[in-house]
Amino acid sequence: MKRNAFLLGAVSGLAVVGHTAGFFSRALAQAAPSTGDERVLVVVYFQGGNDGLNTVVPFGLPAYYSYRPSLAVARNDVLRLNATVGLNPVLAPFKKMYDAGQVAIVQGVGYPNPDYSHFRSTAIWETAAPDKYLSTGWLGRYLDAANLPAANLFNAIAVSDVLPEVLVADRVDVAAVAQLNGYGLTSDRNKTLGRDEFHSFVQGADVPFRSPYLALVASIEDHAQRGAEELPQLVAGYKPAGTYPATPFGRSLALAAQVIGSKLGTRVLYVQLGSFDTHTTQKATQDRLLGDFADGISAFYADLAAHGSEGRVLTMTFSDFGRRVAENGSRGTDHGSAAPVFVIGGGVKGGLYGEQPALDNLDNGNLRFTTDFRSVYATVLEKWLHRPPAGIVGPGFTQLPLLA
Amino acid sequence: MAAPITPTATPPAASYRPAGQLDLATALETYAGPWNVRLAAHLYRRAGFGGSPDDVTRAAAAGMHAAVDGFTHFADASALPAQPQLVDDRPNRAQLQMLVAAAQQPGAASTAPDDAVAARKALGRSRVKDLVAMETWFLDRMIDSPAPLQEKMTLFWHGHFTSAYQKGIPAQALVNQNNLFRTHALGNIRDLTLAVSQDPAMLRYLDNAQNNKSHPNENYARELMELFTLGIGNYTETDVRESARAFTGWGLDRDYAFRDFPARHDNGSKTFLGRTGNFTGHDIVEIIFTQPAAAQWFAKKLLEYFVYSEPEPALVDAVAALIRKNDYNLQPVMSTVLRSNVFFSDRAYRALVKSPVEFVVGSYQLFGIKQSDLVALGALRRMGQILFVPPNVKGWDGGAAWLNSQTLLTRENFASGLMAKMGDAGWLQRQMTSTDPAAVARALTATILQGDVSASSTARLTAYVDGSGISALAALSGENADQRVRGAAYLTMAMPAYQLA
Repeated sequence: MKRNAFLLGAVSGLAVVGHTAGFFSRALAQAAPSTGDERVLVVVYFQGGNDGLNTVVPFGLPAYYSYRPSLAVARNDVLRLNATVGLNPVLAPFKKMYDAGQVAIVQGVGYPNPDYSHFRSTAIWETAAPDKYLSTGWLGRYLDAANLPAANLFNAIAVSDVLPEVLVADRVDVAAVAQLNGYGLTSDRNKTLGRDEFHSFVQGADVPFRSPYLALVASIEDHAQRGAEELPQLVAGYKPAGTYPATPFGRSLALAAQVIGSKLGTRVLYVQLGSFDTHTTQKATQDRLLGDFADGISAFYADLAAHGSEGRVLTMTFSDFGRRVAENGSRGTDHGSAAPVFVIGGGVKGGLYGEQPALDNLDNGNLRFTTDFRSVYATVLEKWLHRPPAGIVGPGFTQLPLLA
Repeated sequence: MAAPITPTATPPAASYRPAGQLDLATALETYAGPWNVRLAAHLYRRAGFGGSPDDVTRAAAAGMHAAVDGFTHFADASALPAQPQLVDDRPNRAQLQMLVAAAQQPGAASTAPDDAVAARKALGRSRVKDLVAMETWFLDRMIDSPAPLQEKMTLFWHGHFTSAYQKGIPAQALVNQNNLFRTHALGNIRDLTLAVSQDPAMLRYLDNAQNNKSHPNENYARELMELFTLGIGNYTETDVRESARAFTGWGLDRDYAFRDFPARHDNGSKTFLGRTGNFTGHDIVEIIFTQPAAAQWFAKKLLEYFVYSEPEPALVDAVAALIRKNDYNLQPVMSTVLRSNVFFSDRAYRALVKSPVEFVVGSYQLFGIKQSDLVALGALRRMGQILFVPPNVKGWDGGAAWLNSQTLLTRENFASGLMAKMGDAGWLQRQMTSTDPAAVARALTATILQGDVSASSTARLTAYVDGSGISALAALSGENADQRVRGAAYLTMAMPAYQLA
């Protein structure tokens, strides 16, 4: 969504539309103005609210076992990180990455006055605004601030059906591409329509009305159609080198690696996994999803490494919220608050960061956060994306030493 | 070959006039310029959802005043279903006991977790069913109501006084709230605000049901002023705290109905917006509407929704004065706005982005399709608008926020799908027997876009219908003229003008 762009169109009238025609005629190869060594941020959204306590398990806190009589991970099964916490055993491939120093785990990440609604709490994580309603996401604001080449259609890509709020920008149009062969105009699959034909139809020049939104609509339609046509061609030469799980998440990460390896100048990618909303029979669901995550992310970094890209790709996870400390009576957990965040790859200094929230000092049955999520964002913005974080997530958030 | 076709709608002459400086002094005076199909369609897009080609033709023939009166005086819509068929999405007594017991004895084997699991899953399924039923019901009303402005105002209020299907709010409570908006569609805004303050879905959504004198909850009081009536800068934090105290005790009974609980009410003195007294929620609403800022707030919102984005301050002032003069009765206000110079000005024409709901409902009306389906609901989700699930208490942002690659691809693919399976409207069928590609192209752009299309696009469209001059169309032969007409209708819907209201 490009909220401010339309004002520009309003000022310059219809002239903007004519401009896009020349823009369109440039060669396909120029669509990827990339040096190939840009740093990339991949965000992985654990949709539905992942239970942090059964992800990074506080096996050293006896209260954990009394709050989780049927759901607790047995002490001997935990993949230990220190004397207090360890990973769920389904994360074994991920533990290998941790042991290799590729993973930073920030414990107890949350925000003040937690909201327990999926919609609102996810919006808070995505807009980085717990106390107001912002219409752009924090990574959207990064894209707006980063002065990326306006001609590049693929500055950021959400591997999803719907553009997530985190990538909503004022001035940069982000493509949502769930899968390559489903992205684009359905009509084009019958080849009834050529690219030039469609392009000419959606141009608005010389129409007998004026509208402040006309140039914006025409340019975004142009982006969408060209992007849908160009993306599959631009990434066609990529040879994947990872064994991804045969799941939607595995396919999403494979597409992300393909985009990164095709060097389109993409800076931000979004991938999602879920649903983690485990009110009932949590173990089966969460084990399956965390296993999918561990298999997928290790295949992803193996693929990146085979193409020499692992050092320029940082991956970070987030979720709606963590879950209630005490399990409910349906072998599940209800909506909670703080949870760990994983920061993977790139220049990460592996290890545990932040503090495991106490289990003997709960807030209405929920964990009290120990690290504000905006501290993690600020760290990534400044140390990885090289942008001043204050204008994007607000000033004053202590950064963590997890990136070189 | 086929007989020569009879011309259908004649495309109106393009009447673009360079937009002059809009004269704000006469902006709200009655429009007295030429009346034609373009302006009738403009009225239908704004006061309704677009209408059928016949609707627009009739409005053009009837004259401006009759056309506007047709919107502002609601026709009888009692033949439409007053509410959707809902399944019970609230736990029954047995389920509730089981869930409460389960919550109180976490993990204990004695709580029969299998039953609790089954109960939760059943309730989850019921909620999905009810959401689909609610969305379909509201969409179908918008598509088919003989009182389109009533539905348009209901949609406006739904995005203004927001409540969402979450926090365990029963579907029935949201349906009741929606019908409250419908009842007060063009009624008195003050009365509606008071009714909303006692509306069960709202009492839950913004937590006033938990607002009592020992633990005041400020959520509703704050949003009432910040987003619903005044806007930031027109009240203080003290006003929020004091008005929250006044709303204490307005809650829900066991049947999810509004109830005033005197024992929970703070009977102390409150000072709110400069007045002092033992105020109730009723007093707070009354006092808010004595503030000039309230009229300004609604004037700006109505102008942005019905006329154009970023209205001039002087225009907002003029509409605010009109609202105050009519003591917040909306019917005469909208009746004036919808027949005003500014409403029919070039500044307003196609100057708004169609919301996803307007896009879908308008397309259904254009092709005479009466009932929405799951395809439409899925498309609305990908376009960014789920009825009964606004993104937050601020509602849908609208305008440029509707526009990105994904939402526009979804619009185009929705139109393409609609043409693939539908498109049996009489006016479209008639084009399929035509032997004159140029006439078909003209008829399509006239009916779908009222001629708001460039000469080069019309020429391209003619070539597409003809099947000549476009290499990619080689596969199309004269035998599939219907496919070409449907394809051309889809292409016309993909043009930028169709994304604009």
